[in-house]
This record gives sequence, structure tokens and C-alpha cells, in this order.
Amino acid sequence: MNTVRAAASPSSRGGPAGTAALYAVTARLGFRRQFAYPQAALWGLITNFFFGALRIAVLLALFGTRPTGPGTPVAGWTASDAVTYVGLTQIFIGAFSLFGWTDFMRAVHRGEVVTDLLRPTPLLPFWAAQDAGRAAGQFVVRGLPMLVLFVLVWAARLPAQPLLTLFSVVLAWACGFAFRFLVNCAAFWSPDAVGIGRFAWAVQGLGCGFLMPLAFFPAWVGAALAWTPFPAMLNTVVTLWLGQKTGAAAWAALAGQLGWTLGLLALCALALARGLRRLEVAGG
Amino acid sequence: MGRGRNRLGSAGHHLRLYFLLLRAQARSQGVYRTSFALDALATALITATEFAAFALVLPRFGGLGGWTLGEVALLYGLAELGFVLMDLLFGGFDAPNLSAQIRSGSFSTLLLRPAPLPVQVLGSDFALRRFPRALLAAGILAYGMTQSGVVWTAWGLGLLAGSILGLIAFFGGLFVVGGTLTFWTVESVEAMNVVTYGGRSLISYPMDIYGEWLRRAFTYLLPAAFLSYFPVLHLLGRPLPDGLPGWAAYLAPMAGPLVLGAAALLWRVGVRHYQGTGS
Repeated sequence: MNTVRAAASPSSRGGPAGTAALYAVTARLGFRRQFAYPQAALWGLITNFFFGALRIAVLLALFGTRPTGPGTPVAGWTASDAVTYVGLTQIFIGAFSLFGWTDFMRAVHRGEVVTDLLRPTPLLPFWAAQDAGRAAGQFVVRGLPMLVLFVLVWAARLPAQPLLTLFSVVLAWACGFAFRFLVNCAAFWSPDAVGIGRFAWAVQGLGCGFLMPLAFFPAWVGAALAWTPFPAMLNTVVTLWLGQKTGAAAWAALAGQLGWTLGLLALCALALARGLRRLEVAGG
Repeated sequence: MGRGRNRLGSAGHHLRLYFLLLRAQARSQGVYRTSFALDALATALITATEFAAFALVLPRFGGLGGWTLGEVALLYGLAELGFVLMDLLFGGFDAPNLSAQIRSGSFSTLLLRPAPLPVQVLGSDFALRRFPRALLAAGILAYGMTQSGVVWTAWGLGLLAGSILGLIAFFGGLFVVGGTLTFWTVESVEAMNVVTYGGRSLISYPMDIYGEWLRRAFTYLLPAAFLSYFPVLHLLGRPLPDGLPGWAAYLAPMAGPLVLGAAALLWRVGVRHYQGTGS
């Protein structure tokens, strides 16, 4: 708590540097919180690795190969691409909260959102900073060990274009955060927001390419998904990591991610302004 | 004789008690109708998207290691239906549920009530929202039954029904083991997810696609293969692996209860060990 107050004091002086410092501390605390339960993280890692192994078996069987043979490409994908893809989905489960996220929803339902409103910073960037820290922490605790495991055990490949991939990962988190936050805003209107959330995460799982690579779907599915923000939340990272999109096409993909992120953030701001206006908190 | 009648009488009493508990829960879940409907549909949607993703991708590859979509649907529907029905019955034993009860101290109050503990735990998490998911699983199974080219006889249908019962007992046993472990430790039960939810995923696809050691572990260490893979192989007229005779497919209704029985013994040890959290 001391660190918070120490860092918060410059912001009371009002400078933009102080505000930035406040967000940095918020993010750092979100980051640190992910290291609280190392044993749970370890078991999570084992479980995710096991599921990754099962998914690799299914994809390799689809390719009609065993881990030793390369096989012929399908939809431009080799068996090695498929193995790396499974690794990526397992690496980013935690960082991108691909199984869902209800923290903000809970804050609204419990009335804790009032505490957020008392803070000297606007609500959306505050939660974004917190989630950025959480995502980075999850990436260090779960993602990096998973990456090492997949490289060692399955010969998963490292990014073909590291810098562009890094941009894409950050944008995929941002776009995913905006989507998650928007879904959580349903809590302002409905006590059933948990059910709405479950819906949203199921659709996201299919649409972002978490369940299967989008390239393997029939053309009409891909065409329909191109009109949604879902591919920006994972699939773009995969295509850049595997080097399937390079140069201008890669930059266009990044621009697409940025566009969806800004659009969804605007919707978040709108939903938040409307939602807070109708918010009633039971006082104690 | 009198003792036997007493036992029968008390079994009937326990069954009545169980259904009373279920009715109470069903009533409470029906209070918020929209919320319930949304939750129920969303629960089914998770299965729907998973199977849809597989079904949409399969045409591009032609098949899964020599299995058509209909044949895989038979396996997938069977595993899913068995698991969801089990979840309806044994949800109260699932480690997160039971460990939450132990931490809050509400488990200790169950011990004080004049009703058998297992009946109370069985009746403690009857989530009606799982029904649409069960319906969907049955639909996938039915699709598999019509598309796999199997000529259905009474024997075949009996094997399928026995397999479902075996799966319910098998995964129920694993849930009971996971729940019992929470008496000793709250942390490491997450590893049980590998065999419960992981086991469900594993047997949803033909098991020869996995490495030899993984298939063997889930055949001889945990008899999961006996419960769905072997019966389906037999129904499709294919030989069982490892030179196992065809009649081994009929062990499904026995393998499941065996696991459940062993789990029940562990549960009794756990309950005797349980000391409460002092809350």
C-alpha cells in the first residue's frame, strides 16, 4: 500500500507524468499479484500442457502424420505450423483470459465499483492498466514456461518476425481487453451478466481461432469472421508468428487489430458513461 | 428378514430425501428465468462450438486417422453425454464445490444433519442448466448413430446404454476421488482436472491418435478406454488394440462401477480423517 501512496502523490500534483506513474504502479501491482500462488500456477501449467498434447494429437492425426513426418501442407499450413499454433493457444490462455474474465462485472455487482470512482483517475484506463499488469504477469508465470516446454518437447517454432509479432501480441491483448470489458459492462443493466459472459467467451473461443486455426474453416466462416473483431484477439498473432503474413500484409493486419481495439474501446467508454449514470449502489 | 426390510425401507427413504433435495434446488434455480435460460444456453454453446470447430475443419482433411465425422460423433457424443449426466449427479463432489464447502465450514453442518453424508453431497449441486448440454450431447450421439453405418441391434443399443452407465460411474468415481483429496489439501486437486476434464477430452477422439504410453495409461491404469473407445470400436466392427478379444468391449458396465467403488472406499477414509477448518 505504501508504494501506491508514494506513487500516487505525484499525480495529486496533477502533471501528466504523475498520471503515467500512477498507471505504472497500478500495472505493477496487477503484475505482482500473479505470483501469489506458485503452486496453483504449476498445476495450471501441467493441466494446460496436457490439453496441449491432446490437441496436438488431434491435429497431427488430421494431417495424417506422426510427430516425425512433415506431411503435405493443408490450407498453407504444415504439421509443424499446427504444433506451433497449439503452443500459442496454450501460451496465451492466461494472458488473454481466453476462458473468460468477470472481475469488472463482480465489482459492479458488489458495488465495489464505487471505490474505483473515488480514485483520481478515469475508470477505463485504470482497469486497462490493472489488466495489462495481470496479463504480463500471466505471460511470465504461465506463458513463458509453456513456450519453453513446447519448444523443447514439440519443437514449436519461435516467431518468424519477432518485432511485428510483439506489436501484434500487445494489440491482441488490448483488443481482447476492450471486448472483455464491454461484455462486463452488461453488469450495469443485467443481473444475468455471468450468463451473457459465458455466451461471449464461447463465441470468442471459436471466432478468435482458439479452438481450431481459422484457416482450416470453410471459406464462408472465415469471410463472416473477417467482419468481427475476434480474429484480432488471437488469430492475427498466430499468422504473424508463423510468418504467414509478412511486409505490407502484416502491417495491414496490425492496423486491423488497432482499428478494432479503438472501436471497442470507444464502445466501452460509451457503455461505461451510460452504465455509471444508471448505477445505484446500496449504501451501508 | 426384518433387517433386510429395514435396509430396503431406509434406501427408499434416502431416495426420497435425495429427490427432495433435487426439487428444492430445481425450484431455487427456476426463480430467475431469463438468467437461467441464458446460462443453460451458454453452457450448451461451449460444447456446440467445440464440436462445430472440429466438424467444420474435418472436410478439409478428409478424416481423422481413418475415422469419418459420423464415427467420431459416436465417440464424442458418448463421452460428452456420459460426462454431462455424471456432472448432473456428482457435481457436488467436484473438487472446487467441495473445497468451497469445507473452507466455508458448511461441510461441517452436513455432518450434523441426521441424513447420510453422500446423499447430501449428491443433492448439493444439481445444476439444471446442464440439461441443454446433455440434450446437445444426445443429439451428437444420435447423429453419430445414424451416420456411422452401424446396423443397430438390441445388443448394440444395450452396449451403448451400458457404456453410458459405465461412464457415469467412472467419471463420478474420479469426482469423488478429487473431492476426497480436498480433505487433505486444497491446492493440488487441480491436477485431478487432467484425468476428469482431460479424460473426457481424451476419450472424445479415437485413442490410437495418441502416443502409445498415453493410450495404455488410459486403458490399463485408468480404464477409460474400456468405457467408450472399445465399445465403439466393437460396434463399428473393428478389432480392439493390443490383441484384446471383442468381448472386452462388454466390460464397460463393470469397469465404471469398479472405479466408483474404489472411490467410495477412499471417501470413507477421508471423512473419518476430516476434522473441519474450525471456522
